[in-house]
Amino acid sequence: MIEQAKDPVLEIHDLTVSYDRKPVLWDVDLTLPAGQLIGIVGPNGAGKSTLIKSIMGLTPNSSGYVKLFDKNLKDVRGKISYVPQKESVDWDFPASVLDVVLMGRYGKLGLFKRPRKADKDVAMDALRKVGMEAYINRQISQLSGGQQQRVFLARALAQQADLYFMDEPFAGVDAATEKAIITLLREMSARGNTVVVVHHDLQSVTQYFDWVIMLNMRLIASGPTEKVFNTELLQETYGGKLTLLSDVGELIRRERFPSREQKRKKELKQKK
Amino acid sequence: MNALQIIIAGSLVAISCGLLGCFLILRKMAMVGDAISHAVLPGIVIAFMLTGSRDSVTMLLGAGVIGVLTTFLIEFFHTKGKLQTDASIGVTFTWLFAIGVILISVFAGKVDLDQECVLYGEIAYVPLDLWITDTGTIMGPRVIYISASVLVILLLFIGFGYKELFLTTFDPAYASAIGISTITWHYLLMGAVSLTTVASFEAVGAILVVALLIAPPATAYLLVDDFKKMLILTSVLGVIVSVCGYYLAAWLDGSIAGAMAAVSGFFFGVAFIYNRLMVKKSSKVKPSKTAI
Ligand SMILES: Nc1ncnc2c1ncn2[C@@H]1O[C@H](COP(=O)(O)OP(=O)(O)OP(=O)(O)O)[C@@H](O)[C@H]1O
Ligand SMILES: [Mg+2]
Repeated sequence: MIEQAKDPVLEIHDLTVSYDRKPVLWDVDLTLPAGQLIGIVGPNGAGKSTLIKSIMGLTPNSSGYVKLFDKNLKDVRGKISYVPQKESVDWDFPASVLDVVLMGRYGKLGLFKRPRKADKDVAMDALRKVGMEAYINRQISQLSGGQQQRVFLARALAQQADLYFMDEPFAGVDAATEKAIITLLREMSARGNTVVVVHHDLQSVTQYFDWVIMLNMRLIASGPTEKVFNTELLQETYGGKLTLLSDVGELIRRERFPSREQKRKKELKQKK
Repeated sequence: MNALQIIIAGSLVAISCGLLGCFLILRKMAMVGDAISHAVLPGIVIAFMLTGSRDSVTMLLGAGVIGVLTTFLIEFFHTKGKLQTDASIGVTFTWLFAIGVILISVFAGKVDLDQECVLYGEIAYVPLDLWITDTGTIMGPRVIYISASVLVILLLFIGFGYKELFLTTFDPAYASAIGISTITWHYLLMGAVSLTTVASFEAVGAILVVALLIAPPATAYLLVDDFKKMLILTSVLGVIVSVCGYYLAAWLDGSIAGAMAAVSGFFFGVAFIYNRLMVKKSSKVKPSKTAI
């Protein structure tokens, strides 16, 4: 079930991505609405990170096209921010928390220019938002996993972008921090920013996201959470792998979502 | 006077190599210098066969071209062949070195040439190799001018490209995502490594260059937590190594390059022990860093 957004911030058309000629994403075709908090779910190896990477132009072999704000990536890079999966860097690197967050300003600075006071202020502000202002001079290897995650988040915030892609920002983060971060992301989307988050915890999907993308090599669903986050589509996304499935079904019902029958009817109507 | 000239030459080379080495060890490419030192052999032979000239400019050009080619091949096998960087480095330089050996053996009659004659420069000869202008003015040791120029180029390169080099070293995916070309900066850096190593081989010898590329940066890495401090400490260490190495050699009446390389290894050992002791003392606060 793929619902198209009006005035999309992101439009993906027939995207196929392969590694070593082996496609890992097939024919993804979707649009995303502005100003929403959007979740991407799917099992390990489903291609969630790959989807984000290819939107950011980081995968070499892809066909189809991606439009951001109706433009090509290179014309709107300044408006887009990216939080890679935390494991993608060496945290033993001799850099301080502030060094890393300042990297968020590099794109705006351009070639040869050094970060100035104003950039430092933005970086400090971002650190305050994620509750890491006490750690600015700490070397990054001396942070806990959750703190490292928050530094990455602060770096993205320092970019002051309009559209954010975050690859598992909640991995290894404790419950309190997760709450704080999700509140922050909510505020951002309330201000009109679009935030796309790869997420693994299905229990919290209905609570967190306005819009959900379900992925398993193919695009299974993309649409408003209450419309697409249902047992059938989850079944289709996770196959037999999901033991939690019945619990999720339970959860969906408890959240007083429209019953499955009604949903069926609606879908049938839309198909017509 | 001779002592001072040797120490200055040694320091200039040590600073240049050390600065680049800081980037190389963090990119897990520390052995690139070693690879280039071997891989340039066919470049020298081909340059000689093409021009029939054995002056050092021709040789340096030949070596420089192959040096850059080496870094291309390393990157190619790494990205296209999915080979680990170290394996890719190993395959590339042994293969190029072998070609050089074959070329020399095939053309043995015609080519009076081996790697030593150009690349295994000897730092002790620095004061003897003078730059004399056409008008006959003696300008001083040629090597000092070359090393100083290389260092100035490097300082400009690192000074202007600092944030790009820093970011592409730490997080290349993020760098590309915000529009900084990782490939461009990779090859600029590798070009700088080629230039520096080839120019320095001729000045002070290959073994010393490889030692200076790795030991002072590795020492600094163990001692400081900040990349800028690492660059500065590496440069200071380079000068100290050069001074101590010279006087150690003078005292032992031995090889200067060998003594400098040994001193840099000694400093690394001291830093390593210090680092271990600190880790033990405050085992929780400061996680151990693994040396390359
Ligand atoms: N650099 C790569 N080279 C080859 N194959 C890759 C590469 N990166 C990912 N893949 C493959 O592509 C598929 C999708 O990977 P991807 O990292 O996008 O999954 P994911 O949905 O993010 O998984 P996870 O939940 O584990 O993060 C996997 O089958 C993986 O093996
Ligand atoms: Mg992933």
